[in-house]
Amino acid sequence: MELAEPIVRVLGFVKRYKKHVAVQGVDLEIKRGEIYGLIGPDGAGKSSLMKAIAGVLTYDEGAVEVFGTLIDSERAAEQVKQQLGFLPQGLGLNLYPDLSVEENIDFFARLRLVPEPALIERKARFLAMTRLDKFRNRAMKKLSGGMKQKLGLICTLIHEPELAILDEPTTGVDPVSRRDFWTILAELLRERGMTALVSTAYMDEAARFHRLSFLSSGKVVASGTPAEVQALVPGLMVTFEATPQMEAIARLKTQYKQVEALGSLLHVFTEETIHASAMQSITSSLGDIRPVHLRVDEPELEDVFVALLLRQADQPPSAEMPRVTALAANHGLAIEAKGLIRDFGAFRAVDRVSFQVKSGEIFGLLGANGAGKTTVIKMLNGLMPPTGGEGWVAGADMKTAGGAIKERIGYMSQAFSLYLDLTVEENIRLFAGIYGLNRPATTTRLEWILSMAGLKGYESSLTSRLPMGVRQRLALGCALVHQPRVLFLDEPTSGVDPIGRRHFWDILSVLAREEGVAIMVTTHYMSEAEHCDKLALMFAGRIVSEGSPSEMKRQVETEAGRLVELTVDRPAPAINELELAGFAGVALFGTKLHLLSHDPEGDEPRIREICAASQGVVQSIKTRPLSLEDVFVYRVMELEKQERKQTTGVAA
Amino acid sequence: MNFRRIKAVAFKEWRETVRDRIFLLLAFLLPVLWMLVFGYGLVLDVEHIPLVVVDRDHSALSRDYLYRFTESRYFDFKGSLTSETEADAWLLSGKARAVIVVPEKFGERLLAGQPAHVQTLIDGTFPLRTDITKGYVLAINSALSGELLADYVARTRGLSREQAKTLVQPIRLEVRYLYNEEVRSAWSIVPALIMFSLMLAPPLLTALGIVREKETGSIYNIYSSTVSKIEFLTGKLTPYVAISFVNALLLWLLATLWFQVPFKGSFGLFLLSSLIFVLTSTGIGLLVSLMVSTQVAALIITMVLCTLPTILFSGLIVPVSSLSPGAQVQAHLFPGMYYTNIVRGTFLKGVGMNVLWADMLALALYAALLRLVAYRLFTKRPRS
Repeated sequence: MELAEPIVRVLGFVKRYKKHVAVQGVDLEIKRGEIYGLIGPDGAGKSSLMKAIAGVLTYDEGAVEVFGTLIDSERAAEQVKQQLGFLPQGLGLNLYPDLSVEENIDFFARLRLVPEPALIERKARFLAMTRLDKFRNRAMKKLSGGMKQKLGLICTLIHEPELAILDEPTTGVDPVSRRDFWTILAELLRERGMTALVSTAYMDEAARFHRLSFLSSGKVVASGTPAEVQALVPGLMVTFEATPQMEAIARLKTQYKQVEALGSLLHVFTEETIHASAMQSITSSLGDIRPVHLRVDEPELEDVFVALLLRQADQPPSAEMPRVTALAANHGLAIEAKGLIRDFGAFRAVDRVSFQVKSGEIFGLLGANGAGKTTVIKMLNGLMPPTGGEGWVAGADMKTAGGAIKERIGYMSQAFSLYLDLTVEENIRLFAGIYGLNRPATTTRLEWILSMAGLKGYESSLTSRLPMGVRQRLALGCALVHQPRVLFLDEPTSGVDPIGRRHFWDILSVLAREEGVAIMVTTHYMSEAEHCDKLALMFAGRIVSEGSPSEMKRQVETEAGRLVELTVDRPAPAINELELAGFAGVALFGTKLHLLSHDPEGDEPRIREICAASQGVVQSIKTRPLSLEDVFVYRVMELEKQERKQTTGVAA
Repeated sequence: MNFRRIKAVAFKEWRETVRDRIFLLLAFLLPVLWMLVFGYGLVLDVEHIPLVVVDRDHSALSRDYLYRFTESRYFDFKGSLTSETEADAWLLSGKARAVIVVPEKFGERLLAGQPAHVQTLIDGTFPLRTDITKGYVLAINSALSGELLADYVARTRGLSREQAKTLVQPIRLEVRYLYNEEVRSAWSIVPALIMFSLMLAPPLLTALGIVREKETGSIYNIYSSTVSKIEFLTGKLTPYVAISFVNALLLWLLATLWFQVPFKGSFGLFLLSSLIFVLTSTGIGLLVSLMVSTQVAALIITMVLCTLPTILFSGLIVPVSSLSPGAQVQAHLFPGMYYTNIVRGTFLKGVGMNVLWADMLALALYAALLRLVAYRLFTKRPRS
């Protein structure tokens, strides 16, 4: 990478849509051979920038230079298009649903005039690599999310472009498919010496990039290598438990800008860089509340981004929860599922699922696409009758009390089912009307929702004009209009900026802790799952792992070992060797390697040896706390391995 | 121009169209359906008018007079009533549209050489039908009057019936209907319906096909690739032109075999001009698709743009020559009129290129112009 020359130069880029300025003054340089990341929430300007580089969108000011050609006209753009591959946003949306996997690939290849022999060779190789070869003749519309994503990647890279521009390729895909995707991308890029520009809304993917730019509201907030970005905001992450939690948060918020409740844990970002003094100042700001299980870690990139955003912007109005008469600590069960089964023909979508959610608890249901999460929620909501088993929601039997259940639950979906042409207040009043609230009740509830969700000042704004984060809080408010005891959230925070997301979770923890609402969440964001008190991981219709986030991490640590992060100057070739040596969970993160080891100190010499054998010099080696994504991927990979063994066993 | 890329686009488009059941149904069933529905629905022949009679006379002459109405194919005899009030009720309920009232002493007066008055009541809610009904009544009435007069002359002058007829009616009208010999409106409407169907379905298919790609985002595959604008437009339109051309054939078969409309002209000429017309109408769809970004918008705009002018100004119902001068100008601006001339010409008149060349040229110019505008409008690097 020493000879790296910039192949894309962007200077003072400005893009306007009518009066709306989408991107204002972005500079960017992409070097040959690197994976460059654009990170930011929806509406940050990532897509506009990528489309302009791909030559499929005009821009208003500045200069975009690709492979030395200034892209200022359709003609200029045409000149570089043979060297580019562009994957637009939207999972599988640019593919043709009625065409088979193979026909899709063939179309892209022929459009790019790939010679037939090369097409046959590449198609075979790509399909094998992505494990799609069994599905050659399957219509694209019948593929799972992860498979669509991989097919999209193949179609974009089939003509072996020098620069691949991938717009949010991992949005809406489960963590396993996501990790798979990154591995394949890294391998392809290395093999062919390609360069990639990739955007993502998942902050925790930032470590995957060689270099990155963090965009917010059309501006670059930070850019550089992950380490350089991290260095912009020196500080530490302190994690501990403290009770009462709400009081502790209130005290901490007077001193610290980033205070998060993750289940029973508190997560505080401090700008102190010395471990001892960081702990010291936390303890003193808590007063008479004693923190326990204190732990200090390096901050994640997401914490850094939030810190950077907070520096720029005024802090959003924090949720001023009007104190309603706090419910007496009610630890009755809010949701109970007992051996739930659901068959679709011969296919068992949900297989003997049991769990319990107490009032005031936040429960997360995780799983890959198609694992059965949605079916479970539909059955609990009374929208779908179960084939077997029983369930109670807020005291009502889901089989007999369909209507009663709907009055006791709130439901908020990914799509935020709001009426965009109504104002905030009109939306809330509409939902109050739907649930049959009378006039005085509506007025009190409206007031409560506006202050709870931080919507004061937005009452008469049109919903379509609201930023995503505010829209999401409005959707939450509407789901709470009838004071449900149980709240279902289906992927609630896709596309929301990190500050907005934290604000949202603040509200949820207040709802759970102070109002005693039971909350059930499904999500692909593993950083979101960290907020839950309890998690259940579903695989092939069954719950395969259950517990609090820290319990789940501990289980994996005892089973497979601790997470070791290596900084290697040539990491890619070592992956195979490390896997052959028996290390679990080997994965590439940009310039770093992750693996699991029971004895990191004891294994260190062996690891260095293996890396050296594949011409990689280990620059540093250290242990890191496991993330929930690591847990998820480890669990699912293990189960898939078992399944494969079983099927091959049967075949043999 | 690279043929391989055009082929790739065309094949992809064809496969998608064939596999999308609803789209396929839309492509092949809609034109046939339109022809069947309008072919039966737009028949403007006024026949089988429900008729009741009130005979107060009950003489041989009155029976003979009424017999001529009740036996005519233009009237459907619904019954004999005793009073006008009863007849009013029939008219009000719509069970009858015409009433003939023969007064008392009708036969007596006629035989006595005195004039007789027959009252006719006609439902005036549909002026066009009313006029035609009145025409039938007048014609039947004058025929009988003429015969009575001739009989009288024959009797008084001692001439033969033929001689008396010549004397009474010295000028006789000989009418020969040309082209549509039986004056069946189906013969006139059905060929024009080929135009109507080919004016609606191809633009709709084309517009939806292209906007669908815009809506899903797959158009970015085209934008970001090296396929040229001409290659893309050619490849994309080819399947729709082919489908529409096949439809032209199907509609022709439907017209000649099902509706039994005679085809007198050159089949080759019909095919050639249909191809040109299909190129024009798909061009309209292409133009619409470049200006909108959702399928719903494409659907509505295409329907409005194609249906109204086609019904009003293409000669489908009213001949262009009998439109007001302003409407005639508008008629010349839409391609439907030229093709109407061609289909009616080839079906009914059997005329050839020497008469129809101007219409064909107009269509060809139209097709070329639409493509040129579309080419200028289409950009692989849009503003948003």
